Amino acid sequence: MKEVIEINSISKIYKRSTEKSLSNISFSIEKGDKIAILGPNGAGKTTLISIICGIIDSSEGEINFKIDDKEVNLKSMLFKIGYVPQDFSFYEELSPFQNLMYFGSLYSIPKNKLKSKAKNLLTVLGLSHVINKKIKKFSGGMKRRVNLAIGIINDPELLFLDEPTVGVDVQSKNAIISYLEELNANGTTIIYTSHHLNEAQEFCNRVVLLDQGELIENNSLSTLLSEHNELSLESLFLKLTGKAYRD
Amino acid sequence: MGKLIASIKKEFLLLTSDKIGLLLMYLMPVFLVFVITIVQDSTFKLVNENSIEILVVNNDQGTLGNDLVEILQRSGSFKITKSKNLSEEKIKHILLSDDQILAIEISKNFTYELTTKAKSISREILEEFGVLDSDTIVQENQKNSPLNIYYDPILQENFRLSIVNSVYSFLGAIENKLMIEKLYTEMGFDNIPKSLEANFTANRIQINQISASKFSNKAMPNSTQHNVPAWSIFAMFFMIISLGGNIVKERLNGSFVRLQTIPSSFLIALISKVFIYLIVALTQLTVIFLLGMYFFPNIGLPSLSLPSNLVGLVVISILSGLAAISFAMLVGTYAKTVEQASGFGAITIIIFAAIGGVWVPSFVMPEYLQNIGEISPLHWSLEGFYALFLRGGEWNLLLPSILFLIFFIFVCQILIYLKLKIQNYI
Repeated sequence: MKEVIEINSISKIYKRSTEKSLSNISFSIEKGDKIAILGPNGAGKTTLISIICGIIDSSEGEINFKIDDKEVNLKSMLFKIGYVPQDFSFYEELSPFQNLMYFGSLYSIPKNKLKSKAKNLLTVLGLSHVINKKIKKFSGGMKRRVNLAIGIINDPELLFLDEPTVGVDVQSKNAIISYLEELNANGTTIIYTSHHLNEAQEFCNRVVLLDQGELIENNSLSTLLSEHNELSLESLFLKLTGKAYRD
Repeated sequence: MGKLIASIKKEFLLLTSDKIGLLLMYLMPVFLVFVITIVQDSTFKLVNENSIEILVVNNDQGTLGNDLVEILQRSGSFKITKSKNLSEEKIKHILLSDDQILAIEISKNFTYELTTKAKSISREILEEFGVLDSDTIVQENQKNSPLNIYYDPILQENFRLSIVNSVYSFLGAIENKLMIEKLYTEMGFDNIPKSLEANFTANRIQINQISASKFSNKAMPNSTQHNVPAWSIFAMFFMIISLGGNIVKERLNGSFVRLQTIPSSFLIALISKVFIYLIVALTQLTVIFLLGMYFFPNIGLPSLSLPSNLVGLVVISILSGLAAISFAMLVGTYAKTVEQASGFGAITIIIFAAIGGVWVPSFVMPEYLQNIGEISPLHWSLEGFYALFLRGGEWNLLLPSILFLIFFIFVCQILIYLKLKIQNYI
């Protein structure tokens, strides 16, 4: 498969901190991947995704984006990237439709196409009945789905999701994961972080495991399980990261 | 262009999503301007239109006490309640418990004290003229104050002093008359001529008040001309609570972060905010000015006269609006919470207004405070509006305000840019 992102020796030290949040992280992402970036609290998952998406700068190292084996800069990639942050990053005072129309317009999607796309997305994610209602009255699960809808309004080729199913009910989680499966089947490369290991085991084909800012595993899920002689991702996770609290 | 329109539409939807908040953004400034103008106008009328209630306790055993009361009554500035023989305690009790705010106690030796003083001065004058020998002059020192003014402690000092000065001027008229009388009698005349006596009180020199304005209609500045621009600016800068809070919320909820991952310039988001809030600021001013022009006269307030330099009015209004927006955005960019933005922003605007001359004119402040006040954008906005509404509005009068406001906007925008750059938004 074609490499779309190459992460080279990325390190990050935040201001007023002496410890590295990320230390010398290197791996590559290939087209069509479903990568789970896993790790205990404070492992550096969100920091890594934020650096890849250009939200924060790395202290060391570089990220190379590739389109058809040609290196391009982040700015050129932004049209092809979707980002679903952990926080609800939208305007709660507006409706989901108004949010999608706004964020979609920033990708220069033609208005008519954007309208039908927004309606379609909201229908697929089970939000058609609240399309014009203010989001602030929505449940957590509904807000998560709006968050996802905004992140994929541009039909991204690369989709980054930071804990997209945290705090939602089983139904919403199922809807989100099903839709992500569908996107991936249509060619979208997915990189996501999660604490739901069963969900990650079912959904992802590759695991990048971080602990205390260091990359401790990067391989396909099946290889990792057989190499470590474990049956589940959860037992593998505990074996590699230990049982001590990481608060 | 499509992105900018979408951003402006989003800002418009956000603004109008809180209908009550939006209504308050217009109603509160209108209410503020109404209240302040009515209060200021009432003060003006209180002093000038016969409505200050005064208790006069006339204990004078002579006739001059009655003369003073009569002059006070004829002046038309006071509503007088007469009384006699009240003790100091009783007067204080009345002031604290009744509607009276001021009492004048004319002492029992009022006539004696004034007459003695007049006699002494007139003899001194005649001695200077060589009409009297110096050894006939008897120096008589004033022993007691012939007049006491009691006041309710809530009475503001400037108001009290203006009344005291007014009483002084009437007292001066009596003293002058008395002195002339004494001069006449000392010089051997029987009485002062009746026509001259009348002139002391009736034919006082009229002071013609001329505003140093270049208005062609020579309209006198009034409470509306002063207060409508001043308090409109104050209200306009208070958008800091809405806009500053709005920016903090967008930063905290991650909307700004999402914008970093979208192929759009962050400046578009900022320009759209400036555009929408500038419209709010200008419509706020328009609503208040229209009310000042057409509604104020219906409730007994002076009408607002628009300046002749309408282009200048538009320029100062836009620059004031942009200064208010830039400051709100600056606070919103640096504040860590909505509470910080609202609290710091509101207090700062109040301080800017105070040192900027919105509450009391800058020229009455100590020099160092006047100098500090020049950093206040409200000061320069106010100077601009005063130049337009009260001084004729010529461009050379507007230039300092225009230059400072542009400088202030520029500095705010630079600081906003630096902060957003540090935070990787730009």
